[in-house]
Amino acid sequence: MRPGQVRGNVKPVQPPFSPVLLLGMALKPVRPALLQPVFDGVLKMLRRRHPDILDRMADYASKPVCINPVDLPFVILLDPNPDDPRLTVRREIDPQEVAATIHGPLDVLLALAEGKVDGDALFFTRRLVIEGDTEVVVALRNAIDGAGIDLINDISAELGPLARPFRTCASAAVDLLGRIQDDIETLRTALIAPAVKDSNAHNARITQLEAELKVLRKAARRGGVA
Amino acid sequence: MTTAQPAPAPLTRPELVCPAGTPAALKSAIDAGADCVYIGFRDETNARNFPGLNFSRREMAEGIDYAHGRGAKVLVAVNTFPRAGRPEVWHQAVADCDSLKADGVILADIGLIDHAARHHPNLRLHLSVQAAASNPDAIRFYVERYGIKRVVLPRVLTVQEIAEVNSRIAPIETEVFVFGGLCVMAEGRCALSSYATGQSPNINGACSPACDVRYTETSEGITSELGGFTINKFAHTEPAGYPTLCKGRFIANDKASYLFEEPTSLNTLAILPDLIRAGVTAFKIEGRQRGRAYVSAVVQAFRDGVDAVMAGKSLPDIDLDRITEGGKQTTGAYEKAWR
Repeated sequence: MRPGQVRGNVKPVQPPFSPVLLLGMALKPVRPALLQPVFDGVLKMLRRRHPDILDRMADYASKPVCINPVDLPFVILLDPNPDDPRLTVRREIDPQEVAATIHGPLDVLLALAEGKVDGDALFFTRRLVIEGDTEVVVALRNAIDGAGIDLINDISAELGPLARPFRTCASAAVDLLGRIQDDIETLRTALIAPAVKDSNAHNARITQLEAELKVLRKAARRGGVA
Repeated sequence: MTTAQPAPAPLTRPELVCPAGTPAALKSAIDAGADCVYIGFRDETNARNFPGLNFSRREMAEGIDYAHGRGAKVLVAVNTFPRAGRPEVWHQAVADCDSLKADGVILADIGLIDHAARHHPNLRLHLSVQAAASNPDAIRFYVERYGIKRVVLPRVLTVQEIAEVNSRIAPIETEVFVFGGLCVMAEGRCALSSYATGQSPNINGACSPACDVRYTETSEGITSELGGFTINKFAHTEPAGYPTLCKGRFIANDKASYLFEEPTSLNTLAILPDLIRAGVTAFKIEGRQRGRAYVSAVVQAFRDGVDAVMAGKSLPDIDLDRITEGGKQTTGAYEKAWR
């Protein structure tokens, strides 16, 4: 077991009930190799538009990092070697292959890449879990945050005449995902409502029992009977 | 018969000094309303020498251009203590601040301050919180001897004490922290992290260097270690904090508790009017190691807060819980509510 490695069968981050989780289920039969061209394109775009990322990672060239979107059925291996960087999609990765792993839901990872959320805050609230070499993860987080990535703008800039239709489609997709997310949240709330009601009742009962116990203990300390 | 009360002295608008660990964060800070941004070189000359963070000389020149083009200033923190017999890296950093036309340099080491005062007479010098000058005599010494223009006060004084210091050192400028991580030790003197890791925050520039930090997830929660020492265990439902020894949870008398300080963030939004009335020249936001999202949110909140006070309006109710350490906030020594 390497230092910092997740122990036993612990699931570092529970995937949220979201459109991405449903998409992930649909993508399960898809071979990761079929998705590789997308990641090759993303890496090419990042190298051209944000060369500072690899520059800031120069001290960690031989430390590959696994990025694990917990709601998708594959992981991404980032090899930050500035001479031959790679972004490889795989079904799974042996922790021994990488210096560190970052676990988090896809929407959180994308928001982090675009600097829309603070990495430390995600860590404090446990929405992001890191495993392995903390130094390389901190370097990657700072390098990406410092690059000022804006995915829609960055991809548009690579598409030439297709930039405008891409922006329109991307904007519509973001709106659609937001609406689906709202519907899923409504569904989730409805499904768990009976359990939440029971749980609230139990909590109220526990609070009442704790108060009674406190009174009894106080009385016992005084040597009397409540 | 009633006696006319003297009119209260007009409030002076404090400068909002904001953190930036990267060029993108610098732009975020200025776009969110920072009057001034403080940054550091990508080396051991500053106290946030973290992996992947800070500015190359080229980035610093571009950052200063960006700030000046928008009416904002840039201060450069060269606030670590030079290694004995090897001050060249620190001397070069100060020289580069001068040649890159930074608006000032934030220094802690008295030898480096002396060097800067003698070799760069036109460079504005600020005294770092790392120098821990907390009383009028100490402050006057730095001012009279080296021409220090502003002192960043250590986070140990109450608002009333700050007002008193200000009244006794005027017109010397003071700067106080208004938000962010708290250092509960004597700043610039703490050796806890050095003890655990062999690297000094005050010389190498990183408290709890990431290379010595490990987090391990178990079925009970997350365990944080520094230099092989277990310093905290957080249950799954418990907000986590930074892996610093001063905020470690230790077992004493069979009880696990925070012996020095809980994971918590300073937040003075609610007492901004008091700090402004105390005559503070500049408000500093901690967090060069934090991301753009943190910088934007905190700078915007304090921009709104300062503007509201200066306009005589009520303070805005801004929730910064989501970006605080441990999910908790405090006004720290400014109110000393624990007494």
